[in-house]
Amino acid sequence: MGIKNLTKLLGDHAPGCCKEQKVENYFGRKVAVDASMHIYQFLVVVGRTGDQTLTSESGDVTSHLQGMFFRTAKMLEVGMKPVYVFDGKPPALKREELSRRVERRGDATDLLTEAKETGGEADIEKYSKRTVRVTPQHNEECRRLLRLMGVPVVEAPSEAEAQCAQMCKEGLVYGIASEDMDSLTFATPKLIRNLMKPQTQNVPINEYDYDKVLEGLNLTADQFVDLCILCGCDYCGTIKGIGGVTALKLIQKHKRLEDVLASMEGGRYEIPDPFPFEEARRLFKEPDVLKGDGMPQLKWTAADEEGLVQFLVGEKSFNEDRVRKAVQRVNAAKSKSTQGRLESFFGPVSIKTSDTGKRKEPATGKGKSGQAAKKGKSGVGVKKK
Amino acid sequence: MFEARLTQGVLLRKLLDSMKDLVQDANFDCSSTGFALQAMDSSHVSLIHMQLRSDGFDHFRCDRNLSMGVSLNNMAKILKCMGNDDVLTMKAEDQGDSVTFMFESANQERISDFELKLMDIDSEQLGIPDTDYSATVKMPSSEFARICKDLSTIGDTVLIAVTKDGVRFSTTGDIGSANVTVRSHSNVDKPEEQVVIDMQEPVALTFALRYLNSFAKATPLSNQVMISMSKELPVVVQYRIEDMGHISYYLAPKIEDEEMEGDE
Repeated sequence: MGIKNLTKLLGDHAPGCCKEQKVENYFGRKVAVDASMHIYQFLVVVGRTGDQTLTSESGDVTSHLQGMFFRTAKMLEVGMKPVYVFDGKPPALKREELSRRVERRGDATDLLTEAKETGGEADIEKYSKRTVRVTPQHNEECRRLLRLMGVPVVEAPSEAEAQCAQMCKEGLVYGIASEDMDSLTFATPKLIRNLMKPQTQNVPINEYDYDKVLEGLNLTADQFVDLCILCGCDYCGTIKGIGGVTALKLIQKHKRLEDVLASMEGGRYEIPDPFPFEEARRLFKEPDVLKGDGMPQLKWTAADEEGLVQFLVGEKSFNEDRVRKAVQRVNAAKSKSTQGRLESFFGPVSIKTSDTGKRKEPATGKGKSGQAAKKGKSGVGVKKK
Repeated sequence: MFEARLTQGVLLRKLLDSMKDLVQDANFDCSSTGFALQAMDSSHVSLIHMQLRSDGFDHFRCDRNLSMGVSLNNMAKILKCMGNDDVLTMKAEDQGDSVTFMFESANQERISDFELKLMDIDSEQLGIPDTDYSATVKMPSSEFARICKDLSTIGDTVLIAVTKDGVRFSTTGDIGSANVTVRSHSNVDKPEEQVVIDMQEPVALTFALRYLNSFAKATPLSNQVMISMSKELPVVVQYRIEDMGHISYYLAPKIEDEEMEGDE
């Protein structure tokens, strides 16, 4: 699940890198969305009570479609232009992490059966969330839904976050929507979190600025990658006893991961074997992505109302009224002209700070990260696949 | 040390009331030339530029340039406690963390002090280029406020079209459409009621009425408003503050979007 405790580390050491935003402020912005991760989240969260999820009449799960449809509709309604990026083949290094996740899922399935016998409702919900798996069928259905909504879809050759980051670096999109902090390790200029959370939860959107992350932590881009590997990423094991704060101190002191590891030689830390950090570093810095001309052209078209009704209402037992209304709102929003921004006329924004007074407590302080950590424990976090 | 005294204290209250809806927190820049502010709303669609020259104050002292971070809403609340005829004095230390507002009633019988804590904020600034606008309209500010209010009952955007004999405001919405045309005319006896159009070429631009309605909150500051437009540039809505300066609002126009259409 991304980089361990990076959110908390950034909240404590680089508070300036994160800004709260409202969905409405993203009008006209193109945003790359990490589809695979969000499908997983929708399956975990949307319409769940105990181990029951939303299903169609024939019993197929529809949580992912429900989440995807209404969130995408909301984005289009405020005038955003989302583009969804799907995961391709995971890099070899990630297989180990993935197989560990399969194992954990296996354990959770056993625990779930047990919980059902003993009848602890909280346990049933907890373990059933952990057994969630995204199948190729879920992905295929989401692709079909997005095509019907007129939203472009990009197939990443490998990791979706890496592809999103590349698109953002090339200026094809304004930022990327993901909950996964390793997007920042891929040097995403702007990471937008909580964009896909349902409106009812009323979570503010957090926008992370990569340059400010580096500035706040006082690291170079290379050192930041090393820091993330040291904190614990998907590609390498973790070193027991090293959390975010220690990792940051070590990198700031020794500058390079090689030197950090050398300094640990014979110390109290146990470096897992193998610890393929060089390979992980390469994956973060030169991931397998589509670049420049290799990218398909992004086009946003009108939503196909009849097609959507046929798919969602006909096949997936959605409420026809709600689907039609959402589609009409989307298409109405599209026919309107877009609001311009002053930067596009007057050039880039500069920041002016006050000479006096107290700094407001940053919103991403301790309280929030504590909450995030708790979420991770209960399994509603951002585990992929 | 910054100190400024304004006989017509109520002016500052009106200014705050005309800004607090658009911007929450902003930096006031105090320098020997005057008291100024530039701030944008959070979506970066509109910008406020306010300037009061030092010579407009009864007394003005600023030893060293100072940028004071203020919650506009809280400052407006404090200024609400000021009497309509009170004399206002603002004071701030160079290294301090608060600003003091002192209200003195006209007959000196009542003196009140309010202290507002300052904040350290990052305000986003833009460099606004000097532009020769292709059309400027001067009209009564109350007329402009009324048009914006009336049109927002029908739609949420307004097309402002300037031709040499008049300016037309039009909108359409779900329930219908509306047009208001104001013709240029002069009035020697009552110059505040004139409508003067100065135009090099005709301009027509579309704007969100929500913002224009917020700008119109500045109506009590001035009898006349000046609207300047050029093709594909933000509009400037300016209210002059007599003998002191001005408050100007910039608003980005609505633009046609090519990518959305695509070929099907």
